[in-house]
Amino acid sequence: MMYMKKLLITLLCASPSLLFAQGSQVNLQSPKSVGMGGAGSAYFIDESSIFYSPGALSKMSHNAISVNGNGVMFKSAFQATGSSVVDHTRNQITPPFSVFATVGPKNTWWKAGIGIYTPYGGAVDWGTEWTGKYSLVSLSLRAIYIQPTVSFKLTDNFSIGGGFVYNVGSVDLQSAIPVYFQDGTSGLAELKGTGTGTGYNVGVHYNLNEEFAISMSYRSKVITKLKDGDAKFTVPEAAQGTFPPDSKFSAELPLPSTFAVGVTFPISEKVKMAVDGTVINYDIYKELNFDYSGANTPDTHSPKNYTKAGSIKAGIEYLPSEKLQLRIGGGYIATPVSKDYVYPETPDNNRILVAGGFTYKMSPKFDLTGSFAYQRVLPREANNVDSHLSGTYTTNIYAPGIGLTYKF
Amino acid sequence: MKRRNLYIGVALAILSITACKPTLDEFTPSAGTKADFSKYIAIGNSLSAGFADGGLYLEGQKVAFPLLIAEQLQKVGGGEFKSPFFSEEQSNGSGYIRLKALVNGQPVTEQVADKLAYRSATPKLLTKYTDPINNLGVPGMRMDMAFAPGIGTAAGNMYFERLLPDGTPPTMNYFTYSTSQNHTFFTFSLGNNDVLGYATNGAVNEGPTTSLTSTALFNTLLNNYVTTLTAKGQKGVLATIPDVTSVPYFTTVTRQVLLAAVNAASTTKVTDIYIATKTGPRAATDQDFFVLPFSSAGLLGVPNANKIPYGLHPLNPVEDKYVLDTKEAIEVVARVNDFNKTIKSVAASKGLAVADVNAFLTSVKNGIRIDGLAVSAKYITGNGFSLDGIHLTPIGNALMANVFIEAINKTYGAQVPRLNISDFRGVKLP
Repeated sequence: MMYMKKLLITLLCASPSLLFAQGSQVNLQSPKSVGMGGAGSAYFIDESSIFYSPGALSKMSHNAISVNGNGVMFKSAFQATGSSVVDHTRNQITPPFSVFATVGPKNTWWKAGIGIYTPYGGAVDWGTEWTGKYSLVSLSLRAIYIQPTVSFKLTDNFSIGGGFVYNVGSVDLQSAIPVYFQDGTSGLAELKGTGTGTGYNVGVHYNLNEEFAISMSYRSKVITKLKDGDAKFTVPEAAQGTFPPDSKFSAELPLPSTFAVGVTFPISEKVKMAVDGTVINYDIYKELNFDYSGANTPDTHSPKNYTKAGSIKAGIEYLPSEKLQLRIGGGYIATPVSKDYVYPETPDNNRILVAGGFTYKMSPKFDLTGSFAYQRVLPREANNVDSHLSGTYTTNIYAPGIGLTYKF
Repeated sequence: MKRRNLYIGVALAILSITACKPTLDEFTPSAGTKADFSKYIAIGNSLSAGFADGGLYLEGQKVAFPLLIAEQLQKVGGGEFKSPFFSEEQSNGSGYIRLKALVNGQPVTEQVADKLAYRSATPKLLTKYTDPINNLGVPGMRMDMAFAPGIGTAAGNMYFERLLPDGTPPTMNYFTYSTSQNHTFFTFSLGNNDVLGYATNGAVNEGPTTSLTSTALFNTLLNNYVTTLTAKGQKGVLATIPDVTSVPYFTTVTRQVLLAAVNAASTTKVTDIYIATKTGPRAATDQDFFVLPFSSAGLLGVPNANKIPYGLHPLNPVEDKYVLDTKEAIEVVARVNDFNKTIKSVAASKGLAVADVNAFLTSVKNGIRIDGLAVSAKYITGNGFSLDGIHLTPIGNALMANVFIEAINKTYGAQVPRLNISDFRGVKLP
């Protein structure tokens, strides 16, 4: 044949909408605070102040090391608009943890410490058969913050503190690609990567008197950059020009800054109360972009347009005996996610939170603390402007936690 | 002791909440009171039958949009819905094409020739299926043909012949067959082939399957049909006819694509493709539609006896049947619009729902996003149309079923749940 006729068909398949979890602050750094609904930054003066109130750390009279763990169950459901099918996430438990340790002379004007904790993260697995599989199949995100901290007393009542934050973030994300094998199943993208970022955490703590105190802290944004992450595409051979099986990707994930204020005051000799409020500057999260190494692989740009968010939390602690402290608390968390930008990786909405907990002093040196938090993400019908995945989401989050403290 | 109680308490708490899923109940299915879905029949052509990839085969039959509609109607108490499925042993039915490879982005297809359902090679006849059925879709059926005798015979349409028991009189036409099923509800989508047969043949009338039905005849026949279908007060849905120029069969092979291919293989720059029209040969414009099979016909550039390359010179133009030229396209589109006006006015006069398939496929032409998935009329990668460029993929059928469901809900006050598009596939790749 003299001339070859060609149909120029490029496999410009619909970009897989690959998205990171956000709106996913997990304030589970200390089971004491969790038990009071997340309040208590001004009330608790202990090793976890490294996170909650760096300024309070120097008011600690002793040294301590604590190890805390949680089992977070994130259970979401989705119902597409006009459909009778309800999709559920699979059972999955994520283990946010924290370790706090202090060093320094007792009853002096300074204290140092280190905290390792996971302020953001989550795991959600919708499976490969659900309605929104082209938006997300599963996501596991973790940000581990390492924060060395120092704190100084300026007066007996007023102290300041600050720490440097180094973040190691990791992501493991899967989503379906609309290319089809001979058996009719769709292609799959699996992205795995780690990245690092830096920031800081500073705060002041002021005791008006023995019982009334106020804490203010500011945790900076941490921009975490992922480079050379592994992008594995499982697609039919004919689509491998567009989706080379072993590709690389890069992305950038901004974790927002938070301003927190907490107050504490006694209600009676045995009942103490704490109230905390936060403003989370999520409005830095405008879009999420994935750049792929494959020349023909379409890069993805997902608008997020998060807004500022915030929370108000309150809790009380009851001291029935020398050995036992019992806590209860609750709160309301305003979402940063607007209705038009809800994605299935964090189908967020305003949340209500109830929690309870206890600390049992097993010996003068050892404390055992337990907590349980329940968050209800209120149902919301959302039509994503980018993906047009449209339907109602609701989520329940259960977070039992336990912590062990050794004082020295 | 106390501590152990605490541990037990925590363990019990974890166990009890593991089973505690959030619930949603945002949609209450309901049949409404205006229509009776106990016996639904689908009257139509290849689209209704589940024809795809240039053939009728079991996998396509199983996602035919009437069956998908019926499965959703069953969620509001609708009756059983039978389709004339090919057997597993003959699952490839009439045979169909599949994608063998993409060579430099160009699709190479092959004919699937095993597990066929032919009981006779000449004339081509399929294994009979004469049990009662609800999906009466017959590939190739036209409005004018539905009233013609002989179509159900061995000399007629093999897909209709397949459904009729031995000994059926040759006078049995599709109209009589489809209106004597004691239905309570129907979907009606005939008329595509009354323009499509003509258009896909480049507006060359070569017989009853490639003629263009007149608007007057279409009006009369549709009125007859719908009057009979609603004689006992039955309700149903009439589908509009898609603008045939919105399908990949006409939009994939463009003048630009052909010129690019010619110039890629030529040292001298070629600027024009010549086409035969009813008023003589002329250079093609971007408003002329080349049919999809032309790309694999292997004709362009091939010299004739006088050494004139095919399609590149007025003395050896691309044959009329491969091109729906501007004037012909205008004629065809105008006829589609006329038919659709008739369909809408008949539906209005009988109080029936209209599934505006034309409006929907026009939106698909520009690309839509639903359930997080992008679907367009782009050949292969658009995932809406099968490899023949006219008929739908399973994704396309699900979208089509939703258009009907939406019409049913709107007109008959029902709450029939829609299909989730992610449950269906697009074009299979090698």
